[in-house]
Amino acid sequence: MEATAIHALLQSRFGDAVSDYVDGFEKGSLVAAGRVAEIAAFLRDDPALGFESLMCLTGLDWDGYDASGKGKSVDILGYDELGRPQASDRVGDGDLGVAYALYSHRHGHKHTLFVRVTRAAPEVASTAAVWPTAAWHEREAWDLVGIRFTGHPDLKRILLDEGWEGHPLRKDYVMPGAWQGVPLDGRDYAACKWDESGVTLPDDVKRPEGPQQPEGTQQPESGNQG
Amino acid sequence: MTQDRNDYVESVTPPAGYDPRREQCLDFHLAEDLAAMADSDDKNFILTTVDNLFDWARLSSVWPVTFGLACCAIEMMAASATRYDIDRFGAGAFRATPRQADLMIVSGTVTAKMATRLKRIYEQMPEPKWVVAMGSCAIGGGPYFKYGYHVVKGVDFIVPVDVYIPGCPPRPEVLLDGLMRLQDKIRGRRDDAKPPKWIADYARKIPYVKR
Repeated sequence: MEATAIHALLQSRFGDAVSDYVDGFEKGSLVAAGRVAEIAAFLRDDPALGFESLMCLTGLDWDGYDASGKGKSVDILGYDELGRPQASDRVGDGDLGVAYALYSHRHGHKHTLFVRVTRAAPEVASTAAVWPTAAWHEREAWDLVGIRFTGHPDLKRILLDEGWEGHPLRKDYVMPGAWQGVPLDGRDYAACKWDESGVTLPDDVKRPEGPQQPEGTQQPESGNQG
Repeated sequence: MTQDRNDYVESVTPPAGYDPRREQCLDFHLAEDLAAMADSDDKNFILTTVDNLFDWARLSSVWPVTFGLACCAIEMMAASATRYDIDRFGAGAFRATPRQADLMIVSGTVTAKMATRLKRIYEQMPEPKWVVAMGSCAIGGGPYFKYGYHVVKGVDFIVPVDVYIPGCPPRPEVLLDGLMRLQDKIRGRRDDAKPPKWIADYARKIPYVKR
């Protein structure tokens, strides 16, 4: 069945809960966040649709884009060239979302459900009861993007450790400088000095004489074939 | 076109007094003692220092703890397989427990979550113990330096590192070279000791096999 036909079928069945047809790289439908579980159960159980397989569930961040998809991608904060986290108090202003990539082995057709939620209240109905594989995928979307799935049996972090602050794949995420005593910033390598004055060498090893060139500035000797 | 291999050998003359056996022996202090023993009339005992003997024993059986973290671990496994065979250097006995290991080859990306485990495993290893940072990630974060919110930018923030092996990932030959540099260090030599110049000149004249 074509994606447009699936979209029309969903609209006739669920009315306002299914809004726009998404004509992107993956064809699909934009649906209401609170009724995803219900729509998912229909998609799985209807014999003409038969979407038994949830291929992937992805959390999305539309920071910098408005609801119509217009806008520009924001610059993501990282570590600077010396490995120090770049501070910022900017709060993202775009919506968050979830994409469900569905596949029917019986019919060989695909469909993608999209959900948009506001950044202030990112709550989506859980589909873990419909597709068991969604349980871990939703934990990942919670862990990295921070979308709360209502009705999830065990919604906790899956990749990052318990107690991690923030959701790293949000575009307004500020990189941590340390976590539980583990430093996560880098090192200023230009300020590092190699001091071998206190190194005692065996008798048969001679210390090179004269000023030593810094690492990386030496010219390679000629004649190296290859 | 093709030159006889012997031409190269004849064109480079070793310096006077060069004894190739000194380079080949694992520990030439011990080797000198053994040679002295062979020349002596009484061949029933060896004269050496206990430190030399222990160092020789340690560098000849560096047992690494099984600690593969990422793609570098694939190269580490290749180094321990038959083609490269790290066991030739006495380091093929990968132990599944840190209690029996001397060496930790940090082969891969060290995340913040793994850093606490890594530190604990290092502390469980008995002294003396050594750490090899294998690959860009373990040395300084590698490709995760800019946006790696979860990556420790160098395992030397967590544990002291003896040998750094660059590469992404390093080939098994480089891991073997790093192991030999570690053996140099255990022996008490400089860890960045270079081969003699005439050997470097000779090696440069050997034509590489083009593939």
